[in-house]
Amino acid sequence: MNVKEYISSGVVESYVLGLATDAEQQEFEAACRQYPEVLQARLRFEQALETQLLQNADAPPAGLKKKIDDSIKNFEAADIQTFSKPHATPVRRMGFWKIVAAASVAALIGVLIWSVTLNNTNQQLRDENLALQKDVNQSAAQLAEMKEDAQRMQRPGVKLAAMQGTTNAPGALATVYWDTTSTDVYMMINNLPQPASDKQYQLWALINNQPVDLGVFEVKQQQLLVKMKNVQNAQAFAVTLERKGGSPVPTMSALYVVGKL
Amino acid sequence: MALLRQKDNGAFSYLYDHYAGALHGVVKQIVTDSELANDVVQEVFINIWKKIDSYDESKGRLFTWMLNIARNASIDKTRSKSFQQSARQQTLSDNDMLTYTVRPGMDDYGLKKVLFKLKDEQRMLIELSYYQGFTHDQIAKALNIPLGTVKTRIRSALIQLRTLLT
Repeated sequence: MNVKEYISSGVVESYVLGLATDAEQQEFEAACRQYPEVLQARLRFEQALETQLLQNADAPPAGLKKKIDDSIKNFEAADIQTFSKPHATPVRRMGFWKIVAAASVAALIGVLIWSVTLNNTNQQLRDENLALQKDVNQSAAQLAEMKEDAQRMQRPGVKLAAMQGTTNAPGALATVYWDTTSTDVYMMINNLPQPASDKQYQLWALINNQPVDLGVFEVKQQQLLVKMKNVQNAQAFAVTLERKGGSPVPTMSALYVVGKL
Repeated sequence: MALLRQKDNGAFSYLYDHYAGALHGVVKQIVTDSELANDVVQEVFINIWKKIDSYDESKGRLFTWMLNIARNASIDKTRSKSFQQSARQQTLSDNDMLTYTVRPGMDDYGLKKVLFKLKDEQRMLIELSYYQGFTHDQIAKALNIPLGTVKTRIRSALIQLRTLLT
């Protein structure tokens, strides 16, 4: 340690005036023990401070000394009393009931908050449950429909006509399942472009080259089979794109798919 | 000293006669109100009497020890409820800055007289740390200057204070 530098760093004054931190105090006290110069510097500053303050003393009012003497005497008397008469403390009981009361209030508030939270969670769960229930019902209904559709396709006597895309829609594909026993007609839309909003697809049966209207249909994802009008006889099926609501005769220029039985 | 430790009335009476004025001067600079200053001086001497056993000669002169008791008691008083009309307690406000740079009077006693010879900036820092008892950290935050700078400036102010005193 550079003692001279340390002494002139202001630490002496800082320590004496009570402005040093705990760590600085400890360091300074150690330095005072180790280096006489540091101790000397401290004593010099203390002396200078004392002289300065004594020169500028401002005597307190005359009565103050007596007041202080009196209170010190009171303390002495009180000290003797506390030593000779250690009294028991009946304060505990009050404290106990206060604690019980405080604990009860705290517990009550806790229960209230808990029940409100619980109620909210409960309501939320109920709502979620209802929504899920609805979803499940919908899915189950869809699945049942699809199962039924699948069965329809496998019945004996069901004939199948795969309709391939024309030049209008080369990639298009739709399938007709015709139940020769019940004469029911079902359409499976494998791939048809979504029509404009003012247009609709229309299915035709070709009997001896004469087109018979089997109804219009929408292109929907969720439906496996679309039930069309029944037909007694047919050699081929075709789909054209018509005005919404359908047309009495097919527009041959808007032929999309066609296929023989 | 031995007599004081035995709580000898005569020794204590001498202590009061010799030092009450100097300590009162310091207390008054912090507390300003003369009634309250008297109360503080009373507290200080009662504390000196009570705590004389804890005074450690190796750590400083008796007067230094008493001076620090007086300073702490005064700062405590300025922060106590009876002193505060408004909440000015733990934080430094701009108001404090104003008060302590332009406070009239009280400046012609003791340390303050010496303080007056310091630069404004240094004086304010000593005022805040010594007379107001704010920590370096609080001062740094209030004045918005780095803690290190506060420490250095206070140190340099203290060094100057010594040259002014000796």
